[in-house]
Amino acid sequence: MSHRLSESELEAYLDEALSPAEMAAVEMAVRQSPDLLQQLAAINGRRDAGFHSLGAIWRRHRVSCPTREQMGSFLLGVLDEQQASYLRFHLNVVGCRLCQANLADLKSRQAETDDAVVRRRKYFNSSAGYLHRP
Amino acid sequence: MSGASDTDSLLIERIRRGDPDAWSDLISRYEGRLLAFVESRIGHRGASEDIVQEAFVGFLNSLPNYDGRRPLESYLFSICAYKLTDHLRREGRRPSVPLSTGSESGGEWQLPGDARAASSIARSGERHGLEEQAIVAALREQVGRWKKRGDWVKLQCTELLFVRGWANKHVASKLDISEQQVANFKFDFLARLRSLIKRQGLSQDVFPELYDDEP
Repeated sequence: MSHRLSESELEAYLDEALSPAEMAAVEMAVRQSPDLLQQLAAINGRRDAGFHSLGAIWRRHRVSCPTREQMGSFLLGVLDEQQASYLRFHLNVVGCRLCQANLADLKSRQAETDDAVVRRRKYFNSSAGYLHRP
Repeated sequence: MSGASDTDSLLIERIRRGDPDAWSDLISRYEGRLLAFVESRIGHRGASEDIVQEAFVGFLNSLPNYDGRRPLESYLFSICAYKLTDHLRREGRRPSVPLSTGSESGGEWQLPGDARAASSIARSGERHGLEEQAIVAALREQVGRWKKRGDWVKLQCTELLFVRGWANKHVASKLDISEQQVANFKFDFLARLRSLIKRQGLSQDVFPELYDDEP
């Protein structure tokens, strides 16, 4: 991340929405610059005061994210080339973290192992007690 | 992606009735993407699994507040992001930043002097939600139209301008178009949203970006 951080990027940082490398770069920059911390605080203040930001709304509601079905087609190589090109842009240039996670999940499901079954059982056993039964 | 899908709504209904099979289905459906989200950030499988586990428990605890207007996946990701942020803060990796008053932690921070100056415009959460929903509907309509028509450059340009917050020059260079084209796309997009806000009688004051460039 060589350019000056935009307000939208700082907002995305607050929402844990930048790519992992960018998140780490912002964290490093924040440590070195008290001004950046003030900028982040000001963003929180504006949110608190009820201002809207288009970028935050767009990200939160995933306005342009491809569907999971489209990602599946992308992995199979059968997605229309224009859509595939947009998907690559969305993943790599916009750096949509949630789509990156979805794609990684779909890839790992293609090579499903016993580990996943064990893991799901562990999640179930540790949380099922919180189910509210009527 | 608007609201919970029919499949998710049915799943939630069964989970609310305490159906363990439904809960197991939800875990199978979503744990992989949540784990990928967390692991890409902290790079440690054991800790990542613990965070996802906390997120599932957090989801069940917050279920009475989930109203289904938000897609289930986004809701789960937001709980996971919160648990991840908390973990990183505890580990000292993520610097603490002053948080909004609605947040659940980090209350030791004070906002800078002028950051709350605009709180006079603070209004009900319901009003705020309605404003957001109006913008979301307009954005979805616009993005859907661009995708249908194959206006990919307009979509990419707008996404870089508003989601990434890049300057016109940077966007033009990335997309290999002229700065004038970027400015035109931006103008059209903002004009559409301004007109929607006017039509719906929403307050202009709470959408500062839309009026920044106005003559």
